[in-house]
Amino acid sequence: MQWMTLFQKELLENWRNKKWIWVPLVIILLSIMDPLTTYYLPYIIEATGGMPSGVVIEELPEYAPSEVLLMTLSQLSMLGVLVIVLISMGTISGERKSGVSELVLVKPVSYMNYITAKWVSYLLLVWVSLFLGILVSWYYINILFGTLSFGDFVTTFFFYGIWLTFVVSLTIFYNTLFKSSGLVAFFSILSIMVMSMITKIFHHILDWSPNNITEYIIDTISTGEISKDLILTGIITTALSLTLILLSSQFLKRKEMAG
Amino acid sequence: MLDINWALLAPLLIIQFILVVVALVDLIKASDTNGPKWLWAFIIVLGNILGPVLYFIIGRRKD
Repeated sequence: MQWMTLFQKELLENWRNKKWIWVPLVIILLSIMDPLTTYYLPYIIEATGGMPSGVVIEELPEYAPSEVLLMTLSQLSMLGVLVIVLISMGTISGERKSGVSELVLVKPVSYMNYITAKWVSYLLLVWVSLFLGILVSWYYINILFGTLSFGDFVTTFFFYGIWLTFVVSLTIFYNTLFKSSGLVAFFSILSIMVMSMITKIFHHILDWSPNNITEYIIDTISTGEISKDLILTGIITTALSLTLILLSSQFLKRKEMAG
Repeated sequence: MLDINWALLAPLLIIQFILVVVALVDLIKASDTNGPKWLWAFIIVLGNILGPVLYFIIGRRKD
């Protein structure tokens, strides 16, 4: 099958350029960094010379497990998203620049297959990395801060994965618009930042903006009930991702025809 | 004062170590990099987590 061939090519490429090794490792590191540093904060303060005299902290705040999980997710939302954008910024734009995409697309390969093969291969990499990262973070939080159920882990992994799916889709979308991978990365990050600002400003109307998903995940974990908001946000985020992929194949078709 | 439980921190150190080794092996095998190889070797070894990541994103050339 044509799609499988393209997909295998993508997997092989991401294996050869070591993404399958370093991306999961970096995501795991990002996920456990905050639980560990938060736990060892008193020790770190002591080791780096202690508090300046006069500063008295009665007791460092105690964190609830869900608060620590929120730290992990915010770390992933900053550096994790950055890593994901940077690994996928050249996947189509680079091939268009170097002419590889022409070599592929001159054959009877459908644009949809070409794009979705790339999309799924990156999603697989991102979901596997996220699974490992959240799993390790969940394990540490359970040891160091208190119980988070296995269900909490699954909810976090699944719904946060939907958000990262959106990030990958957005980057793929910009990949079909620009030939420079720098521009792809710039506009992907810019879009996410603008979306986050708009969501904050119009918070009362935009209940189900993709950027709210982290907030709803944490709500769900602290209340123990999957909220309607979380599910709707998940559905909307998935729909947006699919729309972006459909648009990408349209744009790529038009560009390649014109070029 | 809190005791440091090295069993807890071991995964962190092991992962960092693997990252550095994978990046160095890749660097040695690479025929060409963006910028001088010895500089990348420094960045990988001294750059903590960021070093290997920078190398993989910027330093590596497409084959």
